[in-house]
Amino acid sequence: MTRDTGSPGRPQLRLVATSAEVVSSPAEPDSSSKDVDWSILMARAQAGDAVSYRRLLKEIAPYLRSLAARYRRNPQDIEDVVQEILMTIHSIRTTYDVNRPFLPWLTAIARRRLVDQIRSQMRRSAREQSMNGEEDVFADPRPNSEETADQHRIEEAVAKLPPVQQQAIRLLKLKEMSLKEASLISGASIPALKVATHRAIKSLRDTFFKGSRS
Amino acid sequence: MSTDDLIDTLSTNLPQVRRLRPPLLRAAFWLMLAVAVLSLLAISQGIRPDIWDRLQDRSFVVTLAGAVLTGITGVIAAFMLSLPDRSRKWIALPIAPLMFWISHIGYQCLTNWVSFDPAGMTLGETTRCFATLVFTSLPLSVALFLMLKYAVFVRPMIVALVGGLAISALTAAALSLFHVLDASILIVMWNLGTAVFIVGLSSLLTRRYIGHLRGMPFGNIG
Repeated sequence: MTRDTGSPGRPQLRLVATSAEVVSSPAEPDSSSKDVDWSILMARAQAGDAVSYRRLLKEIAPYLRSLAARYRRNPQDIEDVVQEILMTIHSIRTTYDVNRPFLPWLTAIARRRLVDQIRSQMRRSAREQSMNGEEDVFADPRPNSEETADQHRIEEAVAKLPPVQQQAIRLLKLKEMSLKEASLISGASIPALKVATHRAIKSLRDTFFKGSRS
Repeated sequence: MSTDDLIDTLSTNLPQVRRLRPPLLRAAFWLMLAVAVLSLLAISQGIRPDIWDRLQDRSFVVTLAGAVLTGITGVIAAFMLSLPDRSRKWIALPIAPLMFWISHIGYQCLTNWVSFDPAGMTLGETTRCFATLVFTSLPLSVALFLMLKYAVFVRPMIVALVGGLAISALTAAALSLFHVLDASILIVMWNLGTAVFIVGLSSLLTRRYIGHLRGMPFGNIG
């Protein structure tokens, strides 16, 4: 593959990495050749080449993960922001100009999504209150008659979730299984279970938060 | 959905997309549209009768030039800022002409909503001013929003405010040629208000759109 439209100041195109290279490629692109490769893959993606696009997204995902890991600790948050960045890239891929370097375009989008995620998490944590254990007043479960009512409310709310999220929350939170056990039982992958649980908790939080306000 | 699944979803049935034209060219298209809208306004309303006297006034000419330059540089800055890989420093482009413009800005249109005369209470010049500015700036705002809608993923607030400023400046420049009263403050308030409203609405729709993308079955994402 050769570069068809090169500007004078830009490096010559080399062969785009093979599938094996893609898998073993380092997370951090350290040369301008990576930039040129990605630029070409994006140009092809804009022309409707799904294979190039898939390859581009697969290649940039580890780079985005390493970028996100500089600001986020929680693996689930990192994966969430990587997905947000990929969806943003998909939505505004028309804005990429093939005559300009790819990495500044990519990192600008990534930083924007990271900042958005950090801001929204700060807003969320400002609304939430940490539990300090004083809520468990009675050692004997019988006098805690309110728990039964709470369980009914939780069951009702869980029943309204999509089936995948229902299964994830029942296995991991209500039955308190490990991710591995839940994965074996449900047949879903561990990342899929994590994402489903995260979304289920978010939906439940929204349900109860709205419910407590109304 | 795992990231690998998401990548499969995004790359399945990938349609061809048209790359955006260079930002300066797109800014020029929008400016041509603005000239067309403002020319129609000039034809329908006519140039103010004292225009030649006003053009002898240095302060009027400075304000007019400041507004026109703020409009042109503002819209260029908005198109540049809307792209992820362009510098934030583009925001400084309209600052110098803006200083010229606001140093002579007028507020008369804020003070004459209703006029009282022997025949009773009638709508004042302000109301006519307001109607004109709505009919002028609304199509320009809609056109700019459609041309820059992707900016909601990048720098929504800055782009909307700089774009709103550009529309305000051009509308004010045009209205100063048609109306006896200086409507600049009213125009700026209206357009920046519209810009903030558009950004709020767009952010809300974008969040829903991303949620919708995540929940989409394979092959349906365009």
